[in-house]
Amino acid sequence: MSAETAGPETLGSLSDEPEHQDPNSQKAKEISGKSPMRIAMGRLAKDKIAVVCAVVVLFFVICAVFAGTISNLFGVSLETPLASERVDGLNNGLPKPEMGPPNGPFTWEHPMGVAPRTGEDNLAYWLHGCRISLMIAFVATMVASVVGVVVGLLSGFLGGAVDKVLSFFIDMFLTIPFLLAALTLAPILNDRFNTSENYATIQKFSLIMVLAFFGWMGTARLIRGEVLALREREFVQAARVMGMPTSRVLFKELLPNLAAPIIISVSLMLPSFVALEAGLAYLGIGVTDGVSWGQTILRGATPTYFREYPQYLWQPLLGIVALVLSLNLLGDAVRDALDPKTRR
Amino acid sequence: MKRNKPLALVAGAALLTLAACGGGSSDDGGSNGSGSDREFGDQEGGTKDAERQGPAADVEGATPGGTITVYLPGDPGPDSLDPTGGWSVTGNSIQQALTSRSLTQYVRDEEGQPVLVPDLATDLGTANEDFTEWTFTIREDATWEDGKPVTAEEVAFGICRSLDSEAFPSGPGTEYSKHYFAGAEEYEGPYTGKDPQCEAWDGISVDGQDITISMSTPFPDMDYWGAFMAMGPAPLGNASKPPNYGTKPLSNGPYKVESYKPNEELVLVKNDQWAAESDPGRHQYADEFVFKFNQDQAKVDEIMLSDNADSQTAVSTSLGSDKYNDANSQLGDRLVQQTSQCVSTLTPDYEKIPEIEVRKALAYAYPYEDVWIAGGEVPGVTRVPANSVMPPGMAGKKEFQVDGEQITYDPEKAKELLAEAGYGDEPYEITMVYYEVDPLAVATQDQITKGFEASGFKVTAIPVQDSPYNIWLDPDNKVNKKLNLRGVNWCSDWPAGSTMLPPLLKGGAVYNTAFFDEPSINDEMDAINEMPLEDQAAAWGDLDEKIMTEYFPIIPTAFRNDLFAFGTKIGNPTGDGSIGAPNYKDLYVMQ
Repeated sequence: MSAETAGPETLGSLSDEPEHQDPNSQKAKEISGKSPMRIAMGRLAKDKIAVVCAVVVLFFVICAVFAGTISNLFGVSLETPLASERVDGLNNGLPKPEMGPPNGPFTWEHPMGVAPRTGEDNLAYWLHGCRISLMIAFVATMVASVVGVVVGLLSGFLGGAVDKVLSFFIDMFLTIPFLLAALTLAPILNDRFNTSENYATIQKFSLIMVLAFFGWMGTARLIRGEVLALREREFVQAARVMGMPTSRVLFKELLPNLAAPIIISVSLMLPSFVALEAGLAYLGIGVTDGVSWGQTILRGATPTYFREYPQYLWQPLLGIVALVLSLNLLGDAVRDALDPKTRR
Repeated sequence: MKRNKPLALVAGAALLTLAACGGGSSDDGGSNGSGSDREFGDQEGGTKDAERQGPAADVEGATPGGTITVYLPGDPGPDSLDPTGGWSVTGNSIQQALTSRSLTQYVRDEEGQPVLVPDLATDLGTANEDFTEWTFTIREDATWEDGKPVTAEEVAFGICRSLDSEAFPSGPGTEYSKHYFAGAEEYEGPYTGKDPQCEAWDGISVDGQDITISMSTPFPDMDYWGAFMAMGPAPLGNASKPPNYGTKPLSNGPYKVESYKPNEELVLVKNDQWAAESDPGRHQYADEFVFKFNQDQAKVDEIMLSDNADSQTAVSTSLGSDKYNDANSQLGDRLVQQTSQCVSTLTPDYEKIPEIEVRKALAYAYPYEDVWIAGGEVPGVTRVPANSVMPPGMAGKKEFQVDGEQITYDPEKAKELLAEAGYGDEPYEITMVYYEVDPLAVATQDQITKGFEASGFKVTAIPVQDSPYNIWLDPDNKVNKKLNLRGVNWCSDWPAGSTMLPPLLKGGAVYNTAFFDEPSINDEMDAINEMPLEDQAAAWGDLDEKIMTEYFPIIPTAFRNDLFAFGTKIGNPTGDGSIGAPNYKDLYVMQ
């Protein structure tokens, strides 16, 4: 995670002046009276890939938000059954025929089958895994963005000693190897909190913190660079001359002009956090209670199960791939739409 | 004896096998064609044959030559090859069979039962009337790999080394030599005590070829203890100084160490100085043994099932449960099921759960089969129901049932028992730990919690990222103080109740995580040790039944079996019932 989630190269040249346009041209008339955001939305709506990706993302968001409701609709739950009721211990721990594939026909009782060895319902675990994945990625992105934006704004605008100190922290955090830190933190947190009743919540909270702590630097650098360019612009100078307090300059003058880079860095951070969450769960240092796509993959990734019950591994895998891919493509499309220089 | 495999640790809430070295074995049932109805084989106690002389009887059809590759999935192997320090199933099974001789040894008879026979001694030793003095006569024709004869002084020095518990902190001598040998408590050992010739300890005396060991307390099982390689010779003086000696010990068995990389590989080649006439138990068929440690289970399973040139002469010491069906149909009798003389237990804290009804309720609330399946075991094959602490095949073992029949998962009965004890109104709180790093352990705990909560308990399962043993055995651990349910896996060191009952159930024993401490039972254990040898086995069996029926301080959840896979060109695919490992002594490569 020391790689930046959003680098300057993804930005196009947002801070540059738009090319001069003839105010009387056809095009200029079309867009006159529309806010930049509206123009961007219009462009997005015309982008087929963006629309498809948005639909996919929306699907996952609905799955995540209504995980419990959907589970109830299908009559499945996260509850652990007695293993022997659902799987055959003498047949490699694979599900019994009446539980659906691979040994039996499809059944509505378990639309996605049950897990080998434990007999837990795959649909319920998939839905709740989606919820965990999106929740952690979303909150971590929010935290990382807020930290990154604030640090970037202050560092870029104030300059001088403040800039030096904050830039030092940015560089310092970039040098800490993310995986190593996560591996070290997991047993420490376990030792400290394992007797707590909210251990699962604390675990998720700490996971969010770890992701956010190692994810804000890219945004901070990006914003700092933008602010360095913006603060010399006339409207900022004017605001300062008029005696506006710094906070007002920062949040009323600069921030609106930074909407595009912020949106872009967020749209790139989300998918990377989704993938990271699954990766950490797979390594056993993220979510450990089993309700996570990464943990399901860990359990499914044995040669025998992959050969005889490939669905078990494909379900979470497809979930991650589809979500990460559509988030990434959607992020690209948003970037394109927000870039005034994009020509179509 | 400790089992190194992390898998054993994670296979259940309580599962890290600690000791395995004993007698009795299954006769590998289920070697029929379809092989799908493999079951726990018949068990018998081990026997002794003091008259057995070398050379060992030929294995029928055995041919010399070839290299046998042994894969040890998930098993890091021994840290050191020093015979005195070895107390693990992996290390001892390899070294005792191939490189390091001791006073006595086990051979496998036609029925698959282990027989205790002489090794470096000419017989199984003679004891005085109350077993406080044992005399072994060392044979004259045994040699080291450099051609020099193994002398009685060297054997005595090797035995003396086992008293050095600083130099060999995890050696078996810390448990047996220190406890039984006269004057052992005060003697610090040849290295720690700066006594390189072992002159300061007078518990052992050498007279010609005769070695006499004096005991501080009667020790009728000395002949079994003699089968540990710690009771074997070591070169005198600095030649065998630890830790260097552990990287390349001098061999006196049919094979010698060619190269050894800890946690990676051990290569053994023929020792041409070893004479078959001098050894009643070992063979020297293959040219070379290659042991590969820390292998990936899934990879090894694929190799063993592929039947290619590499795997035809290979042996695997475990099998992934997800491969059980494939292996069973493909390998047939090349898939060997071997009892490991172990019991898995749950240990309710005797002080915090004083009511026997509650402890029995726990036994009825434990969903045995579900736990095995979720933990990656094959019910009825790698795990079978247990009735008491003593494993099947142990001398004196009684086939009793605490409640008349095998305790199985029965939530209603558990609730009744709880109500009898006066806890019928609200859930009874149980606090236990599980190893959260491993998904199998998590799944296992889920099943246990499910079963317990269906039976009127309320379970607080504390996730830990350390070995549960480190929690259970540490009296100052803050987590341990909260627990009222723990667990231990224990394997016998030899087929006698004295290696099962006292370590688990005597007051103050390290692995007595139930903290069961009844003075009358402690006295009885001491009394059995004083009994005539022939009465002891039955007495242990009676005590086992008495403890279980009167106190039920420990919940035996399963007896354990291992599965070994043998390649198609490995001759005589069998297990070693004395230790729960492949029978390395009798393997050969078909030419």
